[in-house]
Amino acid sequence: MNHLDEMTCLLYLERQLDRARAQEVSAHTQDCAACRTLLRALERESRLLTRAMLEEEEALPARLAEFQERAKRSLQWIWAVAFGLAATGAYALYTGYIEPWQQQLDQAGFGGTNLLSLLVFQGAFWKGWQSMATLLEVIALLTLAGVGAAFFRRRLRRGSALALVLAGFCVLLGVMLALPTAASATEFRRGQSVTVAKDETVKSDLFISGTGARIDGTVDGDVFFFGQRMEVNGHVTGDVIAFGQAVQIRGQVDGNVRFFGNNVTVSGSVGKNMMVFNDFANVESGGRVGGSLTAFAGSVGLDGRVGRDLLLFVGQANISGAVGGGIRAKGDSMTINSTAEINGPVHFEGHKAPVVSAQAKLASPVEFKKLERKPKYLNRDYYIWRVIWTAALILFGLVLLMLLPKLGREAISAAEQFGAPIGLGVLIFFGVPIAAIIACITVVGIPLGILAVGIWFLMLCCAELVVGAVVGNWILGRGRSNWEIIGRMALGFVLVRIVYTFLAQVHVLALLGALGIWMWGMGAVSLALYRRFQPVIAPGMPSPPPLPPNTTVGGVQPA
Amino acid sequence: MSAPGKTEPTEAISRAKAGDAEAWGELYREYAPAIFRFCRRALPTREDAEDATMEVFMKVRDKLGQYDQSRSFTAWLYRVSANHCWDMLRRRKIRQDKETEDLDNVPLEHPDPSQLDRLIEQRTSEEVRKALDKLGARARMALVMRYYSDMSYDEIADALGVRRAFVGVVLLRARHELRHALEGTSALAAGRAS
Repeated sequence: MNHLDEMTCLLYLERQLDRARAQEVSAHTQDCAACRTLLRALERESRLLTRAMLEEEEALPARLAEFQERAKRSLQWIWAVAFGLAATGAYALYTGYIEPWQQQLDQAGFGGTNLLSLLVFQGAFWKGWQSMATLLEVIALLTLAGVGAAFFRRRLRRGSALALVLAGFCVLLGVMLALPTAASATEFRRGQSVTVAKDETVKSDLFISGTGARIDGTVDGDVFFFGQRMEVNGHVTGDVIAFGQAVQIRGQVDGNVRFFGNNVTVSGSVGKNMMVFNDFANVESGGRVGGSLTAFAGSVGLDGRVGRDLLLFVGQANISGAVGGGIRAKGDSMTINSTAEINGPVHFEGHKAPVVSAQAKLASPVEFKKLERKPKYLNRDYYIWRVIWTAALILFGLVLLMLLPKLGREAISAAEQFGAPIGLGVLIFFGVPIAAIIACITVVGIPLGILAVGIWFLMLCCAELVVGAVVGNWILGRGRSNWEIIGRMALGFVLVRIVYTFLAQVHVLALLGALGIWMWGMGAVSLALYRRFQPVIAPGMPSPPPLPPNTTVGGVQPA
Repeated sequence: MSAPGKTEPTEAISRAKAGDAEAWGELYREYAPAIFRFCRRALPTREDAEDATMEVFMKVRDKLGQYDQSRSFTAWLYRVSANHCWDMLRRRKIRQDKETEDLDNVPLEHPDPSQLDRLIEQRTSEEVRKALDKLGARARMALVMRYYSDMSYDEIADALGVRRAFVGVVLLRARHELRHALEGTSALAAGRAS
């Protein structure tokens, strides 16, 4: 009897024989004990091999157990670089812009109060707003908290350090926003024409919103005004903070005046400092500012007296009155008339030399530095900063893509269809700032307005990156992994910036191109966000029954 | 390693494909022990196995975008591992070591079924593992691919760069090598009379 060879037995066991041959082998082993034994031995050998190999006689080496952590750590350099660059940028920003401003403000008599703290942290700005915590504010805060919680939920669960830090910032922001809601009351007055009568005294902060306001009496606190015109003929013991078209101070303000609007005139007295962001500011001959005057304005006139320094960022400055300290001004032109009396140094940076009357009483000659209108593309620093910003934005994009890879892909994918993102981008680009301004003006929406502007700015930063990624995809084809996408984004972004930097020097139309890129990218990001957050109706869910006629949100209206 | 029949972590795979580092960590923790063992069986030293495991996972991380999720992730992972280990061995020029070359040319002796049965019965897993260490690279690689990771003949042929029809021969020669290592070359060569 012919026996089966070992190869045939092995192939039979491993089911590698065709059906006919397998049946022959099967039939043969019914009758042949030796071949049956061989088959059994081979089968046992297979099992022994599998068992021997599968047994875990060695634990996973510590080096491998730590490998994942090390791999994770190996990416941490990216975070270190990102945060390092961010810190460097913040430092450069501080030393380059904020610190000089701060020094100038200090010199102007703000005595330790800088612009940032004045606007954001100073009690004077926030004081009195606390009782305006309307339902809308609460809803806005809750929404913010909800979005934050949803975003960080998974990361917090995993204990990501970054998430904890960001969550900490969110909590701080929440506390900062909530703090103003925790103090005393404010009196509100609304209407076409709000008046505080001559013999009337308001014993609290006063919030006024309306077309016009007139304070003939006394306000023992701060005054906040949102409207068109305000006259202060009476006495305000606190600060006056006004957002409006025109403000006239004819009476007495013991505190500071902060004005954001069109024009302000002081013919009365301001006890402390005055800061204005407007078109025209004038301290008339009888007017007096006890502290310093800081103006970001089109035109400033001083016929009255300023107790301390003058800090001006203006188109035109006309000085005829008295200044207790010095003047530091930057702008187009400055005139110092014969009646002027300035007790400190005068420094002016401008396009035209200052006109100084020989009769003016000056503590020292005017220092003048002419501002050169040198094209920025001839300036080496312009290119250095372009490179720094390009690198920083690429890192920003990298961090975003690492944090939100899916959203990033969706935004890039949305940008590849042109019509919808550009159309939506136009709407978002112009609409959000307008809506934010309206929200801020109506006060109740200030946190919402600030949040909207913040998100808008973030989207603006992302816009060029998204367009860069699309350009990168055109050149290299679509990337699959995160790093491929980041590479394409970086390549496309750099190319876009190079082309734009060149074109911007050649023709002003390049600016329109940049606007188009922003709108396109912003629209794509908005589309991705919309698609991510839009409610999804579960398939198979029964549709609601049709509503009866005359139905509103509140219920059925009587016919 | 995912036990046979165990559901593969498809959600973690999807998230890892999308660049989620945490999901990648989950996959690593799930599969690293099995891949290390695969490399440990296929490569000559423990250090080689550790290096190979890390390199395999680096490679998998880079290529995860190419992975077709309709197919088995485990099988794909083993294919990547097998290719990597075989490349490592080939780079060291031990793919066709002298011993294997010689054995390839020697006709296979037919084993005595009873003796083979006894031998298998008497040997422990540990002895088999020690014997595996003595095998030539290709023999060991073939056995590991087939009996550890359950790769098909097609996959083995693809990884080793041989024709499919030759895979059975490679496996049988590998078994003979193993038996030689376990008992000595002549113990089982009692050839049966036909």
